[in-house]
Amino acid sequence: MSKRSFFFKMITSSLIRRRSRMLVALLAIAVGGTILSGLVTIYYDVPRQMGNEFRNYGANMIFLASSNDVQLNAENVEEAKSHIKAGQLIGAAPFRYEMVQIHEQPIAVAGTDIEGAKATSPYWLVDGEWPAAPNEALVGKKEAAHLNLKAGDTFNMVYSTENDEVLESGETVAPTAKMTVTGILETGGSEEEYIYISTDDLEALTGSAGRIDVVELSVSAERDELEAYTQSIPAAVPEVTPRLVKRVTESESQVLTKLQALVLLVTSVVLVLTMICVATTMTAVVTERRKEIGLRKALGATDREIVGEFMGEGLLLGGFGGLIGVFLGFAFAQYVSRNVFSNSITFQFWLLPVTVIVSILVTGLACLLPVRNATEVDPAVVLKGE
Amino acid sequence: MFFRMIRGAFARQKMKMLMIALTIALGASLATAMLNVMMDVGDKVNQELKAYGANITVVPKSRSVLDDLYEMEGSETDQGSYLREDELGKIKTIFWAFNIVDFTPFIDTQVSLPSGSEAKIVGTWFNHHMELPTGETLDTGIQNLRSWWTITSGEWLDETAQKSADVCMVGEVLAQNEGISAGDSIHVKTAAGEKDLTVAGIYNAGGDEDNQIFAPLDTVQALSGTDGKLTSIEVSALTTPDNDLARKAAKEGPESLSISQYETWYCTAYVSSICFQIQEVITDSVANPVRQVADSEGAIMEKTELLMVLITLLSLLGSALGITNLVTASVMERSQEIGLLKAVGATDGRISALILSEVMITGVIGAVIGYFAGFGFAQIIGQTVFGSSIDMKPMVIPIVIALVLAVTLLGSIPAIRMLLRLRPTEVLHGR
Repeated sequence: MSKRSFFFKMITSSLIRRRSRMLVALLAIAVGGTILSGLVTIYYDVPRQMGNEFRNYGANMIFLASSNDVQLNAENVEEAKSHIKAGQLIGAAPFRYEMVQIHEQPIAVAGTDIEGAKATSPYWLVDGEWPAAPNEALVGKKEAAHLNLKAGDTFNMVYSTENDEVLESGETVAPTAKMTVTGILETGGSEEEYIYISTDDLEALTGSAGRIDVVELSVSAERDELEAYTQSIPAAVPEVTPRLVKRVTESESQVLTKLQALVLLVTSVVLVLTMICVATTMTAVVTERRKEIGLRKALGATDREIVGEFMGEGLLLGGFGGLIGVFLGFAFAQYVSRNVFSNSITFQFWLLPVTVIVSILVTGLACLLPVRNATEVDPAVVLKGE
Repeated sequence: MFFRMIRGAFARQKMKMLMIALTIALGASLATAMLNVMMDVGDKVNQELKAYGANITVVPKSRSVLDDLYEMEGSETDQGSYLREDELGKIKTIFWAFNIVDFTPFIDTQVSLPSGSEAKIVGTWFNHHMELPTGETLDTGIQNLRSWWTITSGEWLDETAQKSADVCMVGEVLAQNEGISAGDSIHVKTAAGEKDLTVAGIYNAGGDEDNQIFAPLDTVQALSGTDGKLTSIEVSALTTPDNDLARKAAKEGPESLSISQYETWYCTAYVSSICFQIQEVITDSVANPVRQVADSEGAIMEKTELLMVLITLLSLLGSALGITNLVTASVMERSQEIGLLKAVGATDGRISALILSEVMITGVIGAVIGYFAGFGFAQIIGQTVFGSSIDMKPMVIPIVIALVLAVTLLGSIPAIRMLLRLRPTEVLHGR
């Protein structure tokens, strides 16, 4: 039997014969590995996932016309939007504001893409339904109270300009649309003072198409990246000036930095304590084998051989434990992500070697000390059981 | 004899007992730190989210019905279309007064500038020091509620400095259009009066406020002839995320709740119940949640809390397994001692009692050390991340004690039972 195969036989049989004890050690290492890989995955994923949660605060970028001479229209807005990386754009809502007359009173109406507004401003609370069909309107709460409207009511919207047709009787005929209220919008902000209808309805009423006053965008990106867009978009599409909504972007980066720091610190505290826990368990497992070490020394094994063999065992245990830990950790991170953010995460492949190597290192270091101590002792003393 | 044996065990096996105590201490400190942080994280994150500004606005009853847009200028100063400045302090006397972090009054009016153009001037507190009716003091103002403003030139208006009455801050866009820079003096005029204001600073707010002028409350009240009156109050409150009950109360009004539901609702810091309580103390007012802030706060807090709960569970599990492992390993290696005890006639009960008390004593020592160490870890996390200390939650102590006891018992009992089944002769023979 060659020396090498004997070495492997020693290691494997020692693991098999002392099954229950080794299972304890393996379990400890696997738990350490699980915590390592699970928490690191979460740490890497939290900014992205939390960033999406922060989009609940609504638009963080707006597009304006770059000067009074140019206008935003569907084409240049589309082009500007295409410069934002795929997947980052949560929602975009173009707005066009017009004054119309309802019950002879001037009222501000906003024409928008209803689906876009829903995506950009998730905090809009609609009592009733969102408009879906043509000639349906969402009425701001203050405006609704002012005009005494509620969901299901209808009202006439008159768009009068100087070039209205004048009848012989002296009356003017202005374009009119009959709208149905589908819901009342509650935001606690200035949005409550408007009536929202779809762009198509507004264009049909005013007879002019293509004009957009402002576009609200909700972009899931960090502040630096958003600032880069404010430089790159006007360079490509000169008609569009992107502006950041400072209140949202500033506060988001402030809060997000704190949250990230929290997860980082928690992760490192948990990791350090877990690693020490694994190390003490391994130390205890090795310490109780002093007798065995003594016996082998008495049979003529050198210190180096003994240390090497124990290290080999540690390596095997650490490797296996780490491997189990990687998958359990990923399962944990996936569970967290599903439950907290209802979103799945991708497996970080670099974590596999890192977890295994860290597990092996911790196990190895934890074994080294007690083995060293044991080899220094006189075999006679150890075997006698002192 | 029993105590002598335990004392002997501790004296002779100092190193081993120390190691068990160390592991238990580590596990307990991990549990303590995570539990403390977890229980406080909601408050801390809530505090951070105050960066988004007020989550409740209070406006006069009649004004909230009639749109501001159509009674901007020259509107008669009816009773009820303004709030009363002398009632401000009452906000800090409501049931959830402790949860009110900041509040700031506003009064606005149109002024004409020397160039002939009109601008909105807003009177407010900047860094107001307030003595409350309850005897407490509060430092509040838009320095806190507009944390996203950046000062592009000059500095924040300091209300506490002398001669502060005739100063103002100007929005960046307005300053550019009118050619105003910090240090200039601008002459503003309203129907009720006129004044020269020194510009303390130019700010960038990234919104409509860039077109406005901000000045101390008294100054604007004097300009518009509305002494002691306010157009709105912004309140920043710590709130609990809405649940079904809160949604029902917000939608159908508190009257729709049953008495016990009403009590629960009133005594929980929902944004709707805080609004309701503010309306109770401020005459003729309507308090509305700012949905953009209030809603998002709830969502983010819920997610962070859930995330921390799960991380805490994982670390509790980790520390529990760590402790169980070590206890099992250390009991198992005492097979010879147990064999000997059995050989000299000890009953199973006495042996179990002996080993269990040894482990428990070590566990208690470890848990006490671990609790304090863990509390230290929690403080490190609190100070580094949030710059404030984490509250010591008394609830953590029983949880940690229960955890350590359960875990050490679970770790040692199966091992002891297994050892008791062994036959003394075999064990002593060394097999």
